[in-house]
Amino acid sequence: MPTLKIDGREVTVDPGTTILQAAEVLGIEVPTFCYHPGLSIAANCRMCLVDSNKSPKPVPACHAQVMDGMEVQTASERIKRTRKAVLEFILLNHPVDCPICDQAGECVLQDHYFKFSAQPSRLFHRKQHKSKAKVLGPDIILDAERCILCTRCVRFCDEVAKESQLDVVNRGEHSEISTFPGKQLDNPYAGNTVDICPVGALTSRDFRFKTRVWMLQTERGVCPECSRNCAIRVDTFENVVRRYKPAHNPKVNQYWMCDEGRGSYKNYLEGRMEGPTLVEHGRRLATSTQRAMDEVSRALSGGARNVAVVLTPWLTNEDAFVVGKLLAGPLAGASIYLGGRGPGTEDAVLRQADKNPNRRGVETILGALGLSAKPVSQFTARAVETLVVLGDQHTVGDTTMSELAAVPQRVVIGAFKNAWWDMATVFLPGRVHWEKDGTTTNFQGVVQRARRAVTAAPTAKSEGWYAMKIAQALGAALDFATPKDIFGALTREVGAFAGLTWEGLGDHGQRLGDGLVPGGVGNGDTQGMVAR
Amino acid sequence: MATVQVKRRELSFGERIYLPEVLRGLKVTTRQLFKNMFTKKDIATVQYPEVRKEYPDRFRGRHRLMKREDGSVRCVACMLCSTACPAKCIHIVAGDKGDQSVEKYPVSFEIDLLVCIYCGFCEEACPCDAIRMDSGRHPLPSFTRDRQRIRKIQLLEDGGPSIAVQGGKGT
Repeated sequence: MPTLKIDGREVTVDPGTTILQAAEVLGIEVPTFCYHPGLSIAANCRMCLVDSNKSPKPVPACHAQVMDGMEVQTASERIKRTRKAVLEFILLNHPVDCPICDQAGECVLQDHYFKFSAQPSRLFHRKQHKSKAKVLGPDIILDAERCILCTRCVRFCDEVAKESQLDVVNRGEHSEISTFPGKQLDNPYAGNTVDICPVGALTSRDFRFKTRVWMLQTERGVCPECSRNCAIRVDTFENVVRRYKPAHNPKVNQYWMCDEGRGSYKNYLEGRMEGPTLVEHGRRLATSTQRAMDEVSRALSGGARNVAVVLTPWLTNEDAFVVGKLLAGPLAGASIYLGGRGPGTEDAVLRQADKNPNRRGVETILGALGLSAKPVSQFTARAVETLVVLGDQHTVGDTTMSELAAVPQRVVIGAFKNAWWDMATVFLPGRVHWEKDGTTTNFQGVVQRARRAVTAAPTAKSEGWYAMKIAQALGAALDFATPKDIFGALTREVGAFAGLTWEGLGDHGQRLGDGLVPGGVGNGDTQGMVAR
Repeated sequence: MATVQVKRRELSFGERIYLPEVLRGLKVTTRQLFKNMFTKKDIATVQYPEVRKEYPDRFRGRHRLMKREDGSVRCVACMLCSTACPAKCIHIVAGDKGDQSVEKYPVSFEIDLLVCIYCGFCEEACPCDAIRMDSGRHPLPSFTRDRQRIRKIQLLEDGGPSIAVQGGKGT
């Protein structure tokens, strides 16, 4: 175990650790461009140079391994001068067009310049000009002048997406990033190259010029597009979601997310239905939540025998628990079906075939409450008087759809104008995932918390809220004030969730069953690095 | 908070009965009336709207957007003005111009004059000398609020060419 000193502070680390990682343990910042914890080490930007007593010249901290008795200086006068010189070289041909650059505000080069250089350019020649606004792929655009040739994007394609599509072409100051001839940057993870680009060279065509990043509000969420549940940042401006960015979660998605998930936010922006409606005397009218709920309670008060409920794997764990309590209590005996989206593309990196976020959580909770759900394709309208459909993200065949539509009373909790809205006799406006605070369980059993990023219309409520109000109307004592209360009850009543705590979920979540092992719960985050 | 006791001057007998003071005031206005009638010197009022006073050079009036030599708008939609704006009255939608030397331009540029507090932060923030408040015009009244939300086309009406080098170097 080598022991070394960094800026006079002693630290003991495993052999093979780099100076950068050792500095991170001590909380000492070493500036970097090309280093990314999720990629191989290139050591080409030279920003992380530090002094050590084991070498006469500065060494790259991201690449140099620690040695016993090493004494490292990260802020000596020589290193300060070195950093200034490195930045001067990197900025030599940089266009400094920050006002029109989408990266401005989250640009590592900007940050490092202000922190370590802050000197005007001494170049008196013309700057070297390269390709501007070059389209590399369906969602990626390159500004080669802004590029600092850190090759993070090249390494990402080779190592993570496993499709070599990018490389550096030409030499010296003519070098630039390019796709291989006849190829496009179109792999299913290409969007990550934009995230890891430390400057504004690679930008997203979808987000291009839309919003300045400093205007965005950000909240941690969970991507609902498949059962992987990638941790994401939901960026909003004026209460509208503008983009998804992957967040770091070592248990689930490392630093990445797929392009399918990244672009999916657009599917939830249009066609929202935010008011309850009711069909009376053959006419569909807008109504109040109270009136619609009275109608639902009246329909359900006749007993559960003629009631069918279609659940969705899009429920949060909390919603599923409250709905489960309703189905196990006042509505015991109702037939239960599970809908959801059909299977989709799958690969070995992140994407899962199950395109629903919380199937495992919903099934675990229903099982623990003694309930079982049949697939919605087995639905028959025979003897069903009232149908309750939760959520509107269901893929069903035409025969099932006509069976569902054959039920006389059809209550739908949905959010969008679609076939499910058309079908409803009572429509209750629900919330989409970014309007809910709650937890989801991914296919590996990692329970993660998604926070509310967008304020919903006051009439839009979660499925759990409706279930609670229906249960109360039917005379059951079911009362929760916050998702945290529900999660507390959930951990007490559902064995698999035992030991998990709302606070303990943190940013990286907890694994189901970890709570049963003494000392098993921890959010497992020893790596303090954030994806940038 | 500490309070400051202000000592007030005692009024004299003449001041307390008011009438001499009123007459003293009337003397000033009467003198001005005759001076205006016979000498027409130092008249403080102007015959608005036929006659208008020149505003001082540093008067911050209605905004204008400056133009390039080819007549296109100088603004590159960097949104630094709307970021600096304390009243949040500038609304810009940026678009891709498809021109490699300019790239970004404002598809729409709106200023809500009813919200604007005429602080001048926007012209100070502008890196392109695109927005200025030196039109010398004050905002005019209107019958609807919507008319006070001025669009790019109105902002460009006052806009002349700017000789500043794009990118902000020198003049």
